[in-house]
Amino acid sequence: MENKLREYMDMVFSDIEPSKKSIELKEEILQNLIDKYNDLLSEGKSPEAAYNIAVASIGDTSELLAGFRQETVRKAESIDMAKAKKKSAILMAVAIALYITCVVPVIIFTFISENGFFGAVLGPCIMFVMIAVATGLIIYNEMTKPKYNKTDDTMVEEFKEWQDRNDSSVRAMKSIKSALWSLIVVVYLIVSFMTGAWHITWVIFLIGSAIEKIIQSIFELKRQ
Amino acid sequence: MSITSDLIRGHTDTIILASLMDGDSYGYKINKDILTRTDNQYELKEATLYTAFKRLEENGCITSYWGNETTGARRRYYTITAEGRRTYYRLKDEWNTTKKLIDILIRNEEEDSNGK
Repeated sequence: MENKLREYMDMVFSDIEPSKKSIELKEEILQNLIDKYNDLLSEGKSPEAAYNIAVASIGDTSELLAGFRQETVRKAESIDMAKAKKKSAILMAVAIALYITCVVPVIIFTFISENGFFGAVLGPCIMFVMIAVATGLIIYNEMTKPKYNKTDDTMVEEFKEWQDRNDSSVRAMKSIKSALWSLIVVVYLIVSFMTGAWHITWVIFLIGSAIEKIIQSIFELKRQ
Repeated sequence: MSITSDLIRGHTDTIILASLMDGDSYGYKINKDILTRTDNQYELKEATLYTAFKRLEENGCITSYWGNETTGARRRYYTITAEGRRTYYRLKDEWNTTKKLIDILIRNEEEDSNGK
């Protein structure tokens, strides 16, 4: 019968994630039930009757277990969020590292052969590939960032969710802008180095700025 | 029984603290004491008892420790703290005041004249 009482308690605690606290509470209540069960037997009750009385004496456990249930949910959510954050940090770090180091192949290949195939073509090609990968990573990161999940049904949570929804388009815009500007710098450097026409290549920045405004206005139009 | 228990439930904390004023105890013993002292008329539900323990512990009214029984059952014992004692006296005072007020409020004239 003691096993039956244990099974019953297992069932009551079935949707609670085992933690030191919850297991201790379960053991404590179980011991209590076993004591009661044995006392009832010594009073001359049949095992079945004693079991039923003991189980009935537990009462409504919803309030007692509510705290544990909340903890379980919160823990799972925070783990998910932490994982997503870590992934996003790695993606961003790799992307920025790629941006910074993308000029290295150009420098190296130019050094190896001033005007040959390596210096003029391969270096810049590798650089563009690296930039493309980095930009892709940033965009992927922005797209896959988890939405803010409601932890409970309060006004604050609803507000946060609403804010987050509004933010996501702003966020996409930001990432496109940052990618655009690094591309502009890269194009400026390549064109300048390759043509040597430093006196005029700064125009690229003006063009870039114009492109940025165009993209922004397209976004604004879409939002309306 | 059920109507009475509703009225008593609001005083679960006071009852538990009162029981612990006499010394450390564990869940089943406290409940059994309640049952004996009320001549089998009242007993706390397990869930009510442990919810109250949790609440009292969070408020700093009681602390708990695992007993070191050598035979079989391990029990968690509860001790009343200084804060718990203060709470007990306050709750008891509150109840005494309430009791007087309720007595005054539910007295009816007819019964009074018959009684005296």
